[in-house]
Amino acid sequence: MPNSKVDIISVIESKFKDQVQIQLGQLGKAAITTSNGLHREVLKAIVDADEYTAISAITGLDLGANLGVLYHVRTSNSFLTIRAEVPRDNPKIQTITDITPSATFHELEVTDLFGIVFEGNPLPGHFVLSEYWPQGVYPLRKDVNPNEVKLNPPSNEEMKEPETGRVVKIILGPQHPALLEPEKFAVTVDGETVTKVEPRIGYVHRGIEKAAESRTYLQDVYLIERICGICNPIHACNFVEAVEKILKTEVPSRAKYLRVIALELNRLHSHLLTLGHAGLEIGYETLFQYFWRDREPIMDLIELTSGNRVYSSLMTVGGVRRDLRDTDIPKIKVTLEDLRKKLPFYRQIYEDERTIRARMQNVGVLKREDALKLGVVGPVARGSGVDIDVRKDEPYEAYAEIPFKEIVYTSGDTWARMNVRMDEVEESINIIEYAIDHLPTGPFRVKAPRVVPPGETVNRVEAPRGELFCYVKSNGTANPDRVKVRTPTYANIPAFLKTAIGESIADVPPNFVSLDPCFSCTDR
Amino acid sequence: MLLMYGQVVRMIDGWLFLSILVFPGFAFILLLTLFCDWMERKIEARIQNRIGPMVAGPAGILQPFADLIKLMSKEDIEPRDSKRFVFMFAPLVAFTIMVFAMCFLPIDGSSVISSTGFNGDLIVVLAFVTIANFLLFLSGWASCNPYGTIGSARVLTQFLGYDIPLFLIALTPAFLAGTLSIFKIASSQSIWYIALAPWAFVLFIITLQAELEKDPFDIPHAESEVVGGLETEYTGAKLAFLHLTRDVQIVFGSALVVELFLGGPYGPVFFGLPAFWYSLWFIIKLLAIVLLTEYITTLFARFRIDQVLRGSWRIILPAALLSLMLTVALVTWVYH
Amino acid sequence: MGEKSQVPPKKPRISPMWKRTVSQIFTKPATTKYPFVKPQLGSDFRGEQVFDIKLCVSCGLCSRDCPAKAIEMVEVDGKKRPQFMLDRCVFCYQCAESCPRNAIKSSVIYELATTDKPSLVIKPRASSATEATS
Repeated sequence: MPNSKVDIISVIESKFKDQVQIQLGQLGKAAITTSNGLHREVLKAIVDADEYTAISAITGLDLGANLGVLYHVRTSNSFLTIRAEVPRDNPKIQTITDITPSATFHELEVTDLFGIVFEGNPLPGHFVLSEYWPQGVYPLRKDVNPNEVKLNPPSNEEMKEPETGRVVKIILGPQHPALLEPEKFAVTVDGETVTKVEPRIGYVHRGIEKAAESRTYLQDVYLIERICGICNPIHACNFVEAVEKILKTEVPSRAKYLRVIALELNRLHSHLLTLGHAGLEIGYETLFQYFWRDREPIMDLIELTSGNRVYSSLMTVGGVRRDLRDTDIPKIKVTLEDLRKKLPFYRQIYEDERTIRARMQNVGVLKREDALKLGVVGPVARGSGVDIDVRKDEPYEAYAEIPFKEIVYTSGDTWARMNVRMDEVEESINIIEYAIDHLPTGPFRVKAPRVVPPGETVNRVEAPRGELFCYVKSNGTANPDRVKVRTPTYANIPAFLKTAIGESIADVPPNFVSLDPCFSCTDR
Repeated sequence: MLLMYGQVVRMIDGWLFLSILVFPGFAFILLLTLFCDWMERKIEARIQNRIGPMVAGPAGILQPFADLIKLMSKEDIEPRDSKRFVFMFAPLVAFTIMVFAMCFLPIDGSSVISSTGFNGDLIVVLAFVTIANFLLFLSGWASCNPYGTIGSARVLTQFLGYDIPLFLIALTPAFLAGTLSIFKIASSQSIWYIALAPWAFVLFIITLQAELEKDPFDIPHAESEVVGGLETEYTGAKLAFLHLTRDVQIVFGSALVVELFLGGPYGPVFFGLPAFWYSLWFIIKLLAIVLLTEYITTLFARFRIDQVLRGSWRIILPAALLSLMLTVALVTWVYH
Repeated sequence: MGEKSQVPPKKPRISPMWKRTVSQIFTKPATTKYPFVKPQLGSDFRGEQVFDIKLCVSCGLCSRDCPAKAIEMVEVDGKKRPQFMLDRCVFCYQCAESCPRNAIKSSVIYELATTDKPSLVIKPRASSATEATS
């Protein structure tokens, strides 16, 4: 957690006294409503005041006559929202990418889905939707029904001849063995050195945000959970916490601890998966098999506590769906103790194995100031010396009562990021053991109403890959009005575009895997 | 006419056909290759704490055979832009050359073609390996696919860097025996050369790993970087031949180590036919070397191409020269 | 606050992988010989649904709450009963939670893969209490 004492609210109040309206406690620490054009000055003031400032997400809203734009800003000790509105028939607003480059990808997504044009954004073209999507149809607006949209037919142009010569464009994906899920990265290579990377995401876009608007809150918990398979409980927890904030429901204390146990088990299995996958990328199949062998008991634990190995489906509005039986606790403790005993072996391998050091050290270095400017989150940020962790900065569930260490490494290369994850494995084991030992008695669930009164809120949690954010707006019916989820990999891909430049093409897969990409999360 | 026919019939030796086609010729080499493939996979699996092939045949021993049949029965596609002739025949010719090279090695006390080999067949055999590797490069190049091009260029770069050290280190046992005939090198090892020149053995194993493209020199087959490397466009029977070529190369490389450093097929004969016992010792030593190379494979991650090249030109080549000089010095002053 | 790694990484010694790979050859494999050996599952594993028609009151809450729209209320003997379409089901068991009479229970049947799609539709049978497809 950064040790900063800057009070952003007073900075804004002093600079923009009557030009903005500040509502404290709304949408984070405060919601600042600006008129068109003033959002740039407000943001510039925040960026100048605090180096940790980055755009966490940009939400588009369909407000009828106008289209709303919400800038969610993360600073060292607070989380604010800046509101702006544009008229529906002329949705243009100035970009903020020159003030903070972390906003590039978020603006592109709002352009694709709502049609709001950010003048001055450096990357053109469709980003989240496919190229065959008709022009002028923006799926997240209220008047568009995606089932009735007719896609343009694919064009029959011939595949271009492979380029020869020194400067070659190698297409990484959409189908590629290095990637778990499909995305396209056009890597321009000069000899063996990478000079530019152009991303094209959106291959797994399923329109979950739009689908969430036509289902009830209860059904949406399961829908949001299926944004990602690896980090599914954290998505459910995120959404459920946001709904509980609007409902002003108080979750019982036992449910909070049970949620922490489920989330930390998920973090364990996700980190072990990444560590193994990184081994596979550098050709170290033995390490991959060993890590995944040690991941299996964790999957068995998840199955024991929730009934399914992958989709635990434990969270619901008002608590958790299942209790932890006392007969299961010894098995959990024994498995975690076994895993803890195996960790020194892996730490030693990362220290001593020369081939790992040769492939991972000084590869994909992300410097601290780049990490701050691009707004990266999670182990990628913590591997570069940026100490942000939502569990410490804004504790949710029972994290405020559980002591644990925040792991930060300063070298910023692939090796550091992998070590961050390995140490976090040990910390997660500590957290689970503490939570089990201090599990409070009482109910694990309270009844929550199915119809949610009008309101809007933001919520953020720490997924295994970084800060996961969601914004929920309700309008008094059984279905939500707008659900927006911003996943950590979406915020981390710009870091890859930066770190790959200047390195050899052979370093691209380990570099890429070290930021732990999860494209189902990215595309939703 | 009848006289010439009679002469031809007398020249054709029935046993020659049997030895070429069955033992220790083509069928034996093929079965040995499939068996070594199975053993490799089982060892790799056990090191990685899993079971390995287990369904096809008892303990999965028919698995490589099943893979071969599966590949042979698949559709054979040729890309429109590929160079047809080279694309079709390069894998087949590479396989043939490797099997032919294998026939020079004495397996049951005498090699397949002639009973004593000829002086200089060590060089010929190593030249065959080079040609086979070059044909593999051509097969990737002929597929005209960006991944195939990059993969085959990497094959070429890698084996160029390690072929010369391989030659030099292979000459060390030749110096110790004073002859270039594999048969004579194998039979003149009263003490195994691994004990007389252990540095050459270690260097040879390392260089062999690079020639056979196994971890840590696995780059041409690095799926995460170049989808299939030189095999990207190959399917069906041609892919079967590419895989077989690689497997025969592994067997051949290990067999060469056995002949040059471990005393060939010669060992104690207890009863009955010497040929039977020689083959048995040969197979046991061969499996030991295959085990060793597979163990090294599982132990390491993959090097980058620039690290591989730096290793070959800056470390392995000088080491090979030094080892040769050391051996010549030892032979001149110590061992005679 | 964060714990920063101030100490630079030590010089590499012999990797422990050398010893471990040899010792692993002699340890029991971690994988099992499925399908000859089947795993043991806990009793509340979320497998195929078991529907008890005697407890059902035809309220339709299961069908209304299903997130995957995998339950359809069909007429059986004059009453509406739920029909489970397993190819749409995500096995979240919200139906079991919503049912006021606890008529839907879980089982440990997980080997549901089949090439016969119509067999994945579990019709509510009027006669027997338990439903099991192999």
